[in-house]
Amino acid sequence: MIELEQALIFGALIGGVYALMATGLSLTFGVMKIVNMAQGAFLILSAYLCYSLWSHFGIDPLLGAFLVTVPMALLGLLLYKLVIERIQRIDPGLTIVATFALAIIAEALIALAWGPNPSETTPGYFNQSFRLGSLVVPRAQLYAFLFALGVTVVLQVTVKRSWLGHAITAASENVEGARLVGVEPARVGAWIFAIATASTAFGGAALSFLYQFTPDSQDVWIGLTLSVVILGGLGSVPGAFTAGLLLGVTEALTSTYVSVRWATAVPTLMILVVLTIRPQGLFTRMTRQDAAV
Amino acid sequence: MSATTVRRALIGAALALLVVLPIVSDNLYYQNMLILTFVLAIGASGWNIMGGYAGYISLGSSAFIGLGAYTTGILATRYGVSPFLGCLVGGLVCAVAAAALSLVTRRTRGMYFVIVTFAALQLLGVVATTWSSFTGGSQGLALPLPTWSLTYQNWPFYYPLLALLVVTVTVSVLVRRSKLGLGLFAIQDDEDKATGLGIRTAIYKMTAFVLGGTFVGVAGGIYAYDVAFLNTSAVFDIVTSVLIVLAALLGGRGTVWGPVLGAFIVEPFASFTTTNIGGADSGAIRLLLFGGLLGAVVLFLPRGVLPTVAALVQRARPDVDPPRAKPADESSSTSIDQAPLAAGSEAAAGTGSVTALEVHHLVKAFGGVRAVDDVDLSAPAGSITGLIGPNGSGKTTLFNVVDGTIATRSGRITVRGRRLERQGRPARAHAGLARTYQLPRLFPSLSVIENIVLPEAGFDVGRLWLRRVTTADRDRAMTVLADLGLAAYADTSPADLSYGQRKLVELAQVLWLNPAVVLLDEPAAGISPALAQRIAAMIRLLREQGVAVLLVEHDLAFLSSLCDRVYVMAAGRIIARGTVAEVSSDPAVVDAYLGDSVALAPTEVPA
Repeated sequence: MIELEQALIFGALIGGVYALMATGLSLTFGVMKIVNMAQGAFLILSAYLCYSLWSHFGIDPLLGAFLVTVPMALLGLLLYKLVIERIQRIDPGLTIVATFALAIIAEALIALAWGPNPSETTPGYFNQSFRLGSLVVPRAQLYAFLFALGVTVVLQVTVKRSWLGHAITAASENVEGARLVGVEPARVGAWIFAIATASTAFGGAALSFLYQFTPDSQDVWIGLTLSVVILGGLGSVPGAFTAGLLLGVTEALTSTYVSVRWATAVPTLMILVVLTIRPQGLFTRMTRQDAAV
Repeated sequence: MSATTVRRALIGAALALLVVLPIVSDNLYYQNMLILTFVLAIGASGWNIMGGYAGYISLGSSAFIGLGAYTTGILATRYGVSPFLGCLVGGLVCAVAAAALSLVTRRTRGMYFVIVTFAALQLLGVVATTWSSFTGGSQGLALPLPTWSLTYQNWPFYYPLLALLVVTVTVSVLVRRSKLGLGLFAIQDDEDKATGLGIRTAIYKMTAFVLGGTFVGVAGGIYAYDVAFLNTSAVFDIVTSVLIVLAALLGGRGTVWGPVLGAFIVEPFASFTTTNIGGADSGAIRLLLFGGLLGAVVLFLPRGVLPTVAALVQRARPDVDPPRAKPADESSSTSIDQAPLAAGSEAAAGTGSVTALEVHHLVKAFGGVRAVDDVDLSAPAGSITGLIGPNGSGKTTLFNVVDGTIATRSGRITVRGRRLERQGRPARAHAGLARTYQLPRLFPSLSVIENIVLPEAGFDVGRLWLRRVTTADRDRAMTVLADLGLAAYADTSPADLSYGQRKLVELAQVLWLNPAVVLLDEPAAGISPALAQRIAAMIRLLREQGVAVLLVEHDLAFLSSLCDRVYVMAAGRIIARGTVAEVSSDPAVVDAYLGDSVALAPTEVPA
């Protein structure tokens, strides 16, 4: 029993972090129907930036994340202005190929900047844990989970309450209508990308002390974040959170009862299974799609 | 000298050169580079059948190379099977894998396919690494060394791969010219519409994906024998997928020769970078080059080299432009009465008291909104039934539920006695149901005549391999086009037609199905009165031929001149039925149309 409970705790904590890592992808995917295949590379880039802040200035990655949001937001803005806008105009079907090319370019640049060796930040808490009776609650995972919860809630509230949030929803549901009431979809798109990539700073920070990372590990993370978003259903933040938990727990159970190495197959297997059986995601309902016709 | 002759001469010369090259030159560097080029060209051509023709882009093509390679390698090392036989098994394994993966595409589109292929590649990589007792895992798998004399160099890899490339390209040409290819391009343009025209798109996509994957798998097997050592991270490498996509996009996806040309540019470039970039950062620099090149092609040369060059040539030599069709007079007076338009012999056979379309207790709710609320409706064969109602009353949703665009769980839809509510859209088209759209949706990458002959009244595997437009198709379609006054436009793009002409072509397109029931969504909206009269004549002709026509229209005069009876919808319900005169004096109808705008005082809305 202890084994099972332990696996569930690990799984749930990591699951929250998975959801955090996927928020950027969830935002662009859900609101603009754009799959940013560079999400994994952006996460790794954020992790490296946090790593540099930590190793040069001793800044804790959880704090460093807030600094990293600035360059990441700028990157998102540039990406939108230079690549997404153009490709959406000439051939929207190629958007995903364009972002994929970007992921490869980013991986190469990261490798040139930081070298190919595995890195990791090691703040004081990274290998400590609390004990709860006979159960172990690793501090790093717990902090990352709470961090994830905080960021997700703030993002969710922003999207639901603020003017920008309403504008984003409006632009995603009806481009022409949004334009009529003074919301310029192109400008909203730039904002979404800026916010989405900025939010990868938090996911990257958590990644930096939970895992060893290399430039080429980006394709593992894009696989994982895609899995979260597809399980959770397009653009649903609570859905993504639930999906993250489900994924984390499934991985932990696989590690405990099958083998650690097969656990790495869980995210991609989930993608294939969910898209075959329930393509709209596990937690969303089909809605009316013909209103524009 | 025509462009075709030039092209044939060039291709023939290139092929002859490739055949004699290993015999006249013993340079192993070039031989190996060409071997890799062939593998890439096969990969890109295979990718192109799904990615270029049907528009389903895959980022996991190297999975097929890997599967073929590992099948061959495992058969050779464990069971002593010759790699030249093993690679054929590898192709078979890829065919099965492609068929399984395309099951995922039955319900998903576009970017989901990209994600699926990407996930499948990653999953295979993990499996190959983890299941090390079978695959050698990260230790790698060494294949037996070739046994032939060194004087033959790499010929036993070179020639089979060259032959395989010729076969792949030939199949690619055949697919492109066949009805299968026609369907694939229609899927790329507008898959929803294609399913409504009776195209079993799932089978088309599966066939395309399996065909492409099989050849790539065989190539992977030969490649495995050539490199003699497999390790999982290299074989299932995403970079190989990048090269495949890059080659296809650079050369020109959707064309036959583009992917081949792309491979002959990309692979030598890749070889050049391998030999000339060294040092610790060489891997990163190569990645940067390929990623940058892919990005640049996507952003600045999205159509690829071949189509771009072709467009330039065409612009430079306007005299070789195909003769522009003479604009036909829209109101030219061909006698519409004798038009064999619907050729509705099948439908006519069922004339009489048979109810062609019957809808019972149909409900479609979106959350709390009942867009179609317990609708009962019937359209007898050989009749014209109108459907009117204020905007948002559910008319188009009703059409969408009846033709299967939107699924519903409650209610019954019967066409000619066959229950259809649980059938897919192609099956509904095969049962005799056809539908036009408020705004005509023609397939822009097909010519006008191809648009007309695309619909399939039944599915038949053998038909897939017929020419896009058979002689019989052409004869029948030309008669139809002549009757519409559009014969001169047969081989032009639908983009050259006026809005009204497109409406005519779309009507002719759905009538190609010989339907028993035709749903027309505002056929006369936005077109000239002359053309509207023409469409009215066509609709009357359909009635004479025994077709049941169900018509959404706002123009009451148009309706009353045509309809035997009308149904009135409001807020998802049928609120009245009868002749136009009867319903227009019905107080409930008047209220439905005027109520909203007249009632200024807030009314009680039941929660």
